[in-house]
Amino acid sequence: MTEYKTKHRGRVFQTFIYLGKLFRMFLFQNDWKVLPMAAVIAGLVSFTVGKNLFKTMEGTLMGTFALSCICIWNGFFNSIQVICRERAIVKREHRSGLHMTSYVAAHMIYQAFLCILQAIITIGVCLLMKVKFPEGSLITPWPLVDFGLSLFLITYCADMLALLISAFSKTTTTAMTIMPFLLIVQLLFSGAFFSLPEEAMPLTNLTATKWGLTALCAQGDYNSKPMVSVWNNALKMKDVEVEGEKPLLTLFREIEENNMRDDILMKTGELNQNHDYDFDPRIVVKCWGWLIMWTFVYVMVTVLLLEMIDLDKR
Amino acid sequence: MIEMLSSQMDYTNLPVILRHQILMTIGCWFLFNKCDVKKVWAFIPVAREYHISLCADREKDGRVYTILVFFYDLLTILVPFLPKDNLFVLFLLIPIVGIGVAIEIYIIKVYLGLIKVFDKKKKWILAFFFFESITLIIWGISKRFVPGKKVEHIEKTGAKELGENLSAATEGLTVNITDRTVVDFFKKKTLLKDIHMVIPRGHMVLLLGGSGAGKTTFLNAVTGYEKAKASIKLDNNDVYTDYGKMKYDIGFVPQQDLMRGNDTVEMTLTDAALMRLSKDTSVMERENRIAYMLDQFGLTAVRNNLVEKLSGGQRKRLSIAMEFISNPSLFILDEPDSGLDGVVARSLFERLREIADEGKIVVVITHTPDRVIDLFDDVIVLAKDATRTGRLAWYGPVDEAYEFFGKSSMEEILLSINQKDEGGEGRADEFVEKYADRIKEKVG
Repeated sequence: MTEYKTKHRGRVFQTFIYLGKLFRMFLFQNDWKVLPMAAVIAGLVSFTVGKNLFKTMEGTLMGTFALSCICIWNGFFNSIQVICRERAIVKREHRSGLHMTSYVAAHMIYQAFLCILQAIITIGVCLLMKVKFPEGSLITPWPLVDFGLSLFLITYCADMLALLISAFSKTTTTAMTIMPFLLIVQLLFSGAFFSLPEEAMPLTNLTATKWGLTALCAQGDYNSKPMVSVWNNALKMKDVEVEGEKPLLTLFREIEENNMRDDILMKTGELNQNHDYDFDPRIVVKCWGWLIMWTFVYVMVTVLLLEMIDLDKR
Repeated sequence: MIEMLSSQMDYTNLPVILRHQILMTIGCWFLFNKCDVKKVWAFIPVAREYHISLCADREKDGRVYTILVFFYDLLTILVPFLPKDNLFVLFLLIPIVGIGVAIEIYIIKVYLGLIKVFDKKKKWILAFFFFESITLIIWGISKRFVPGKKVEHIEKTGAKELGENLSAATEGLTVNITDRTVVDFFKKKTLLKDIHMVIPRGHMVLLLGGSGAGKTTFLNAVTGYEKAKASIKLDNNDVYTDYGKMKYDIGFVPQQDLMRGNDTVEMTLTDAALMRLSKDTSVMERENRIAYMLDQFGLTAVRNNLVEKLSGGQRKRLSIAMEFISNPSLFILDEPDSGLDGVVARSLFERLREIADEGKIVVVITHTPDRVIDLFDDVIVLAKDATRTGRLAWYGPVDEAYEFFGKSSMEEILLSINQKDEGGEGRADEFVEKYADRIKEKVG
């Protein structure tokens, strides 16, 4: 009778075995390509919306929304196929003693590495493109570090959501079909850029874009910025005639001549402040907390889904 | 159906819904009569849809279709009870529309199957799509519409059973499977039944059986991967009770080469060694074992190559080496020769013979057994009986198997046990009973 007393490697050691595999894949399977892709996307966004980012209220909202979208896109693309493309292999390895918690933990560490690099690349590209960054810090002594942490947490949250989809999908085709749908949900339900009915607002809490955008707006001191859209829209009416005269044109000339435009823009901003975006560390911490909470939920569900991998039909 | 979908959202259209349901019931009543399906199913919505798909010989599509219809009906029943201006109702409309579209697609799939079974022109699909119930009534009543194939009914009783467990051998694998059942779409299905054998150590065993006879299910039950109502003992150790520890002593090589293509051969083996070897194994021992595996399976020259660059034979050998690295007592291979030419396959089986000669139990599934049959000690023959359950038709030496079945090759044996609709002789039940009698005689 054979005695089965030998002990095999536990979860921690298995995590390192798989981490080694993933870093080899980074080189051999061209996973590194997500890094230049992040640079290209960051460049495009800086070019299109970078000019008014952290300068006006509208530019800040649009720019932070675009930055959140970059992060979501990067996160999704990092891991949407990583599990489903090797699902049969994972099933075989699970049969031979692989702990799913170790497998997911290895992915978490590896993906964190990718997300950190992508956040650094995004900031680097934005700096190169002369995009203005927040000047004040809320959590750490360095504004750029605060900003980078927000970008990382949004990317990582999206990354873990994509990992969940990858664990749920039996094939890469299924995963790639679900991904655009989730992307649309993330964009539509950001809760700031698109107007949503009041009843739909609770749903915005489900999205990484909402918490990412809020954190970035707060860090960029959104409420201290001038609002230009009201002025620009009013300017379009300058030629409106009342009893043969153009009163609005006269008013605008007077404002310009007396250098009152900036004061008016600031006043407009002051009257349109959104206190969700106050320059307050509590807001940033709350947003980071939500992002970390969702990341944790996605990871838990991923592990649960993978524990059931043995039920896959042959 | 179109009419149905639009009317179900509102109970003011109850007469339309009722009319549709009554017409569908009448149509299905006659159709089921023709297709040899119990007519009572015509009265039960949802179940009715599944049985239409059985008539159409589209059982798999029918499952999805039935589930979709169930959820669609559920949601449409729920909606009228909710306040009209409720946002939740608006959200419910999204899945209702999505499911509705999917149902239309499955209607097309299922009715195209029905058209094929009745050997009619495809343009009938328009009639089914727009006037489903009326068309079903026409097809059910008119004598012009005759199905080319009726729904197959599986017999309730199969070949008689041995029904007794064999006592466990002190050295070897003792298999006593009472049954292995699964619930498949609300139906209990027995995949394996009454399989008893003792395989001594050092034996290389061929697992033979037609498609669907339960070969892989048997192997999964034996390895403890998918547990059956059974007692599986390896040298008196219960595989099911001690599965957590014993799984390292059981090597299972799947049919596909499930390895990461973008990793090197050496690293693939190193990771396999780290995962499967005891954590007390020293680095030196591990390295030696990896080097031995590379050497034994002829992979030393390609140790630094990426797995995706290997030939089919090399990849298969690597897949086997990954499992064999932990030196398992029971070694199971599912079609290790698939995609390999005769020479490469032969050399692979010779290597497996050497493994068996080291005192291991090697069980192999292969679809081309005759080219390597001289290397095997025993053969297990699994066959589908009249109830479509996997049964043991033979376990014993290869030579005696020829005599038992009255055949001269494994392929002929396979042909004799395969069902008639699979091109076989359909003698599975006969051999299952004959083998049970033989064992009863032996055991007493």
